[in-house]
Amino acid sequence: MALKSDYEHGRTDSYRVATVIPTDDDNLMADGQRKSRRRMPPKPAKKENLDDLKQELDIDFHKITPEELYQRFQTHPENGLSHAKAKENLERDGPNALTPPKQTPEWVKFCKNLFGGFALLLWIGALLCFIAYSIQASTSEEPSDDNLYLGIVLAVVVIVTGIFSYYQESKSSKIMESFKNMVPQFATVIREGEKLTLRAEDLVLGDVVEVKFGDRIPADIRVIEARNFKVDNSSLTGESEPQSRGPDFTHENPLETKNLAFFSTNAVEGTAKGVVISCGDHTVMGRIAGLASGLDTGETPIAKEIHHFIHLITGVAVFLGVTFFAIAFILGYHWLDAVIFLIGIIVANVPEGLLATVTVCLTLTAKRMASKNCLVKNLEAVETLGSTSTICSDKTGTLTQNRMTVAHMWFDNQIIEADTTEDQSGVQYDRTSPGFKALSRIASLCNRAEFKGGQEGVPILKKEVSGDASEAALLKCMELALGDVLSMRKKNKKIAEVPFNSTNKYQVSIHETEDSNDPRYLLVMKGAPERILERCGSIFINGKEKVLDEEMKEAFNNAYLELGGLGERVLGFCDFMLPSDQYPSGFSFNTDDINFPIDGLRFVGLMSMIDPPRAAVPDAVAKCRSAGIKVIMVTGDHPITAKAIAKSVGIISEGNETIEDIAQRLNIPVSEVNPREAKAAVVHGAELRDVSSDQLDEILRYHTEIVFARTSPQQKLIIVEGCQRMGAIVAVTGDGVNDSPALKKADIGVAMGIAGSDVSKQAADMILLDDNFASIVTGVEEGRLIFDNLKKSIAYTLTSNIPEISPFLAFILCDIPLPLGTVTILCIDLGTDMVPAISLAYEAPESDIMKRQPRDPYRDNLVNRRLISMAYGQIGMIQAAAGFFVYFVIMAENGFLPLHLFGIRKMWDSKAVNDLTDSYGQEWTYRDRKTLEFTCHTAFFVSIVVVQWADIIICKTRRNSILHQGMRNWALNFGIVFETALAAFLSYCPGMDRGLRMYPLKFVWWLPALPFALSIFIYDETRRFYLRRNPGGWLEQETYY
Amino acid sequence: MSKKNGATSLPGPQEFQFPQPKPDVPWGTFIYNKSEGTYFGRTIKSWSKLMIFYVVFYAVLAAMFAICMQGLFNSLSETEPKWQLSKSLIGTNPGLGYRPQSEKETERGSIIQFDSKKSDEKQFWVDLLNEFLDVYNDRTKLPEKGAKQKICGFNDTSVTNGDKVCEVDLTQFGPCSPQNSFGYNNSQPCIFLKLNKIYGWQPDFYDNVNELPEEMPEELKKYIASKPSEERKQVWVSCKGQFGTDKETVNNIKYFPDRGFPSFYYPYLNQPGYLSPLVAVQFERPKSHEMMNVECRAWAKNIIYNGSIRDRMGSVAFQILID
Repeated sequence: MALKSDYEHGRTDSYRVATVIPTDDDNLMADGQRKSRRRMPPKPAKKENLDDLKQELDIDFHKITPEELYQRFQTHPENGLSHAKAKENLERDGPNALTPPKQTPEWVKFCKNLFGGFALLLWIGALLCFIAYSIQASTSEEPSDDNLYLGIVLAVVVIVTGIFSYYQESKSSKIMESFKNMVPQFATVIREGEKLTLRAEDLVLGDVVEVKFGDRIPADIRVIEARNFKVDNSSLTGESEPQSRGPDFTHENPLETKNLAFFSTNAVEGTAKGVVISCGDHTVMGRIAGLASGLDTGETPIAKEIHHFIHLITGVAVFLGVTFFAIAFILGYHWLDAVIFLIGIIVANVPEGLLATVTVCLTLTAKRMASKNCLVKNLEAVETLGSTSTICSDKTGTLTQNRMTVAHMWFDNQIIEADTTEDQSGVQYDRTSPGFKALSRIASLCNRAEFKGGQEGVPILKKEVSGDASEAALLKCMELALGDVLSMRKKNKKIAEVPFNSTNKYQVSIHETEDSNDPRYLLVMKGAPERILERCGSIFINGKEKVLDEEMKEAFNNAYLELGGLGERVLGFCDFMLPSDQYPSGFSFNTDDINFPIDGLRFVGLMSMIDPPRAAVPDAVAKCRSAGIKVIMVTGDHPITAKAIAKSVGIISEGNETIEDIAQRLNIPVSEVNPREAKAAVVHGAELRDVSSDQLDEILRYHTEIVFARTSPQQKLIIVEGCQRMGAIVAVTGDGVNDSPALKKADIGVAMGIAGSDVSKQAADMILLDDNFASIVTGVEEGRLIFDNLKKSIAYTLTSNIPEISPFLAFILCDIPLPLGTVTILCIDLGTDMVPAISLAYEAPESDIMKRQPRDPYRDNLVNRRLISMAYGQIGMIQAAAGFFVYFVIMAENGFLPLHLFGIRKMWDSKAVNDLTDSYGQEWTYRDRKTLEFTCHTAFFVSIVVVQWADIIICKTRRNSILHQGMRNWALNFGIVFETALAAFLSYCPGMDRGLRMYPLKFVWWLPALPFALSIFIYDETRRFYLRRNPGGWLEQETYY
Repeated sequence: MSKKNGATSLPGPQEFQFPQPKPDVPWGTFIYNKSEGTYFGRTIKSWSKLMIFYVVFYAVLAAMFAICMQGLFNSLSETEPKWQLSKSLIGTNPGLGYRPQSEKETERGSIIQFDSKKSDEKQFWVDLLNEFLDVYNDRTKLPEKGAKQKICGFNDTSVTNGDKVCEVDLTQFGPCSPQNSFGYNNSQPCIFLKLNKIYGWQPDFYDNVNELPEEMPEELKKYIASKPSEERKQVWVSCKGQFGTDKETVNNIKYFPDRGFPSFYYPYLNQPGYLSPLVAVQFERPKSHEMMNVECRAWAKNIIYNGSIRDRMGSVAFQILID
């Protein structure tokens, strides 16, 4: 296996790979300006955006001569723009800032809450009330204000729930605001020969800016002067290595050429001066951000479920309403009465509080997730994570610690494993052997990395280090092994140094030794192992210097291959004691024209580094696997490294082979292996470039364990789309700006809180505060739990719809006095049912929810046939029976025997009838019988509360016995107490008879519902008992929701 | 659709086959799917299983409901309500009722409207009254054929044992007799008032001339004073125009047979054949083409009065309109 040198890690070809696909019209004008940024045809947006994204940046600013450039922008390299010209440009182009993604205006959001969902139905109800009232008011001298009152109540209900959901929504979007409020960026600009510090927004085309290390590049600039200038393009291209930039035009591709630096990338080293060539949305970054915001994201699964559910309930409400409106007409009711029935049926059918309940449940879960480092931007994303069936995860920082760490050492002809765990809990190794001592001396001395100041209390591994990642790893490793590296360096003073460069591929330094008796200088060298070995004549083994013979070279090669095969970055180390006769004390070493030996050195050993996986990740991946979630690694890293990490975290599980592995094992060419036989696959980005979508589908279909290596962020989008084509619900992690289209396209985009760029955070639905993959799994768990619990919550809430509707139906069909009024229905829906329904969000899972497959978004609906059948057909009917029984009890005990009630409605509701006879010959005035009726409403209401006790207990579990589940959900227990207390308050509080027409009940009238509550409990326990006894049986098919 | 190159044709790892959308089923196929033999998505067998389940479920529920209702009936008496007087929601404050009342056309509200020249309009009300008074006329139509009815007087105490009931003699109603068409023929209509029956309610009479309330009309006070003291044990009745203008138009009211409901009819204990005492109110020479809003009120110490539209107590209001 060919091993490339470690220092080539940053790749340069992948972005070009994705950007060379030609497009017919790139939508750019000759000067690189977009022709019609805002007027992109919206309909075929997806396809076009994707192509846009792949298109080459057609600009020529990097090709033209500096003089032409200055001329074009009417600027001057020393004096910059004139103030007048700058002002003119600013007015023409606007500020140099990304246009924030188009926000829905607040009032539109508010109106959506006010008129969306069930609100429209309730508005219709309210409107009908007002119409009925105004007709009554105009025709009758003494209109009953019931309808006016109800209309106002309905309107208030809609407005209050609308405001509530709007508030919840804006609260969660406020979380995002905190990310938007970035520290304002400043830029050093030269205008009219004067250096000014301006806000980055005020930059204009042609401005001459100065940037130094640590700055963010304030706009896309053409570099005209540079000193050791390096930029970190990772947020744009995904390349992790800093790239040097200078005034030379080196490449046709604007992203590759060395003389362009791009907006919002970071300068990491050196200084530079440049001319602003594009600003704001026209920058490369701006275009990508713009594309991402234009991507069609589609509805979240939970939104689909809720719409499905709203349609269902609205359908039932409208059907029943219209049917009974017609029936009422046929039965000869006055049309105004029919309208009032219609209102009642609508109010009874609509679970007014349910949407608020769902919102609160999601909010609670979002809060819980935030405490577990998953910050959810969009409430609905809480559940999306639960339905996720594929996770496309980044490697660096998400799966790994994002910290190079020494993993292995090879000295004394053996490989030693170093401790890579975050908390240093791993294996320890012998630190006393001469081989290690020699190796550690080189690693400490031939190393320019230093700890940054002011980090006394921080554990060594967490300390920040200035310098190259590999050197930092060595420094930390040595600090752990030896203690104070700095003082050691002081004792071995550095005399001369040749820094690393890509042609030599080594770094050498010369030191005084700490042994004051030894006047010799010590030469230490590290670099690419094969290059180092070339320069060595001997090897240091077990304290003795041996000739580097073929046998030893073989041993070296084996070790090198083994470590390289682990995906680790390997460095070779050698040293040499310069003879004191040739290099006496005070010898002047010349590093430019080397006047000291760099051949025939003594080889000491190898050290290999890797960005080790986070400790929690292998567990998390295993959890995903048992939860039926496919984990795909998408990384810009080298395939070997990617594969090694994938293996160590379990993305490629033990024993699973890739095509290459099979080929190697069978010793046949790769092309002869049947790709179907390999479960795992490592796909190189370069291959992906030539792959059609059908072939990609095949890869995704036939390999269960996939690693995409060397992929550009653009290819991530293609992978995400591929997964979605397969029917998967995809979660994608990403941190770079270029990831934002993929994040947006994914069903749930997960941005990184620490490493992530602002644009990616904006495009994402969720932000991992600790950048840790394991947090996603926690999120999945929470998401699945909330889906289950929402089902329970909805089952609970819908059940009480039947005892709410049936009184109206009986009222119309049987001509009995109304058993349950609209106001009492609202008291149930918005009062007593709310807290218990919300408390179900706290219910513990019934079984290990991470051990089952992700839910089928097409079949496993939030509200399905079986849930309706249970809630409406079974439990609801028992509840209705309880309500009617209480109604008959109160009527009978006061004198109206049940049979007497049928057909009495007209007389009952007539104000003119002041002497309605009951079963005992007593005659009731209008006032007295209305008191009786409203007492019945109250009692019916109370009986619903009583049967809902049983309902909430049976809704706690869908399969298990309550004995198994327990009553440890204290929120729920509180909910039961609360609804009872509220019911008692509504019934007994003085003034309620006037306010809500609720009357005090005799204590015994609480009791008739009890046998029904008990029977609900017994029925459902029995049902669930048989459910458990016969898994998959008929009962499960028909009643397990 | 990616299904064509899907796993059905080729064996391979199937571990992660993602769910696919449900195929669209056209309506016709949904109603009856020939290949699967399903109607509305279920086979006949599946439908019948579900039906049987629900039939059994509802049968059990109905049985349970029936048992509960039986329990309720067992706790009730046939003759007396379970809760009485203040324990019952009917309370202790009887209202007044009036006849004729068009029960079938309650939309008309409480308006008694007729054209004295049109016999069918008059006849409508006369028929209603005849119907109402039928049991008063013919005691055989009462439960137990009115066997326990007797004529009572103020000094008669035997009725209070609840066995006997007092008769109401229709011959005492003067011009408000069926023979006279209750005055409807000559535009001097009679309205019959009755006090609502409340089981066990015993009136507390204004029988002391010195204790009469302030708001009682003077003419009623005078009338009470003119009565012999043993006949003052009555629930008095007074009618008046309800609103300002009515107070002038509604005058010349005559009461038959007396201005109250005599004590011997009380208490009402659901005696078989019990008849409510009546007071007929005749409006002499009412104005034509003008709505008369009449409010009648019952007077006893334990009858609370409230004349508001919504909360009317101890009184009744009706309108008379003669065209």
